[in-house]
Amino acid sequence: MTETVIEARGLSKTYGDFHALRPSTFSVPLGRILGVIGANGAGKTTMLNAVLGLSSSEGELSVMGCDPSTERGKLMQDVCFIADVATLPKWMKVGEVLDYVEGVHPRFDRTKAMEFLGRTNVPLDRKVRALSKGMTVQLHLAVVMSIDAKLLVLDEPTLGLDIIFRKQFYAALLEEYFDENRTVIVTTHQVEEIEHILSDVMFIKDGEIVLEAEMDELTQQFIEVMVTPGKEEEAQKLGPISKGVTFGKTTCIYKNIDREKLAELGETRRLGLADIFVATMTGEG
Amino acid sequence: MNIFPALVKREFLDGQNGYLRVPVILAALSIFLVIVSTIGFGATIEFDGVFDDHEIENLGQALDRAAASRRGDTELPAAVTLSYWVMGGISWVALPFVVFFTLLGALYEERRDRSILFWKSMPVDDWQEVLVKFVTPVFMAPVIFLAIAIASQLIVALFLSIVVLFQGGPILELWPLASMMGTWFYFATLYFTMTLWVLPVLAWVLFVSAYASRLPIMWALMPPAIIIAVEGILFETTTFLRWIGIQLGGWQAYAYEHIHADVDGPADFLALIFGGIQMDAISYSLGSVQFWVGLLIAAAFLFGSIELRKRAA
Repeated sequence: MTETVIEARGLSKTYGDFHALRPSTFSVPLGRILGVIGANGAGKTTMLNAVLGLSSSEGELSVMGCDPSTERGKLMQDVCFIADVATLPKWMKVGEVLDYVEGVHPRFDRTKAMEFLGRTNVPLDRKVRALSKGMTVQLHLAVVMSIDAKLLVLDEPTLGLDIIFRKQFYAALLEEYFDENRTVIVTTHQVEEIEHILSDVMFIKDGEIVLEAEMDELTQQFIEVMVTPGKEEEAQKLGPISKGVTFGKTTCIYKNIDREKLAELGETRRLGLADIFVATMTGEG
Repeated sequence: MNIFPALVKREFLDGQNGYLRVPVILAALSIFLVIVSTIGFGATIEFDGVFDDHEIENLGQALDRAAASRRGDTELPAAVTLSYWVMGGISWVALPFVVFFTLLGALYEERRDRSILFWKSMPVDDWQEVLVKFVTPVFMAPVIFLAIAIASQLIVALFLSIVVLFQGGPILELWPLASMMGTWFYFATLYFTMTLWVLPVLAWVLFVSAYASRLPIMWALMPPAIIIAVEGILFETTTFLRWIGIQLGGWQAYAYEHIHADVDGPADFLALIFGGIQMDAISYSLGSVQFWVGLLIAAAFLFGSIELRKRAA
């Protein structure tokens, strides 16, 4: 049996009358890259903050066998996170950041961090304040990738960075950090960029988990058909979860319908994660 | 893994302007003034017309004369020791400000610049963070300040020794090491006792820095001011103000109540100090209910700060 990293039962969070997260039950095993996808204010950060012990929550929650709300300090030996861009202390010099992490984190490997930084232009004697946004992220990434953690949580880690940095960021994450003994959780708006590295996805809408699936399965479930003119009625009968018009032709998105059957209606194609997300959020799927 | 050295080092780096630059600059300034007034104006080199007795023409001769005087063997070391405090102790003026503003920003700045999200990603518990952020300015900063005061006293002594060396005179009279060290020790104990009395006020400031969403200085000063004003208007009393006054140092008036010293000259003053005045301070404190209540209030504010930091993100 695979080890479970996160086990949540009825996890929820309310602010007065507002349900930031409705009672959710889910578990995340080791060795996965999970993408948590949802609109702004959908409850992604609320959920991750509970997992990281950054805010209180109701329901049962166990992360690496710890209760995050009371054992955050202990939990952080095995869990690492980048909660936002530019959270590194601006008054510190790069070398001092490394000194600090080395001084408080038993699983930090300074040699590794120096190796990562050696490939960048980040100067060790410069203050974080004086680094560019991209360099700050490179530094932060070098720090977390040199910590031997079991769970890494990245909440919008690349917000505001240019595309080259974002590509490098995810490439490094996949190639040099991830293995079967770690789990990575990522949230981002740029779904297309992380789609190819994910093994699992979770869609969140209005504080509720509306979909939880493995990537391979998911992309097989959703099929888009560009309906051949004249077959619109037939297409409608199969119950598309979403309909649209492209180049004058009707396009229908189906969930869990046999591909061969759909091929009779017109040209079929698999959907990208972003399209699946939009279809799920707007349609009845 | 002992994480406290790394945490304290971080606090020191964060606050090094207040912990190191300010006292060093002030000490350098006062040493500079001593040197300028000695060499530049020449008054201590050539006492031309300062004394009616024209036999004393410079510092060396003045020392010579003082050492030979009737009470010279007791008064001179005391006078030299105390004048070193005047010449090399000016840094202390800055310490209350450094402590106040460091505490006020301790748990506020990390929330404002969002670096709290980085600190919280490290295996450090909130109680450890809060404790270090309290202990470093309150107990470590005075140690640094005292070290700088001692160093500047020694530099002044060294400088005056060189002057006297050229003038000819009893250089050893400039090094009353026993009484100098006595005052350092005395100062450290008294300051520690005073700090324990001020602890509830300092813990309040840290609590405010964990609580305030903006303008922490307003949050630190307004509530006490309002309590004082409301109490004054409704009851026409000043109980709360008096309580603060006693915690901030007023307690000493009670601690030394029974001492009716006849201070005549620096030697008497030092004798009073070495005669155990700090022991009076300590024993009075330990027997004072208000002292212990103050410590309890401090503990409550620290506990509150820890709870607030747990919830801050």
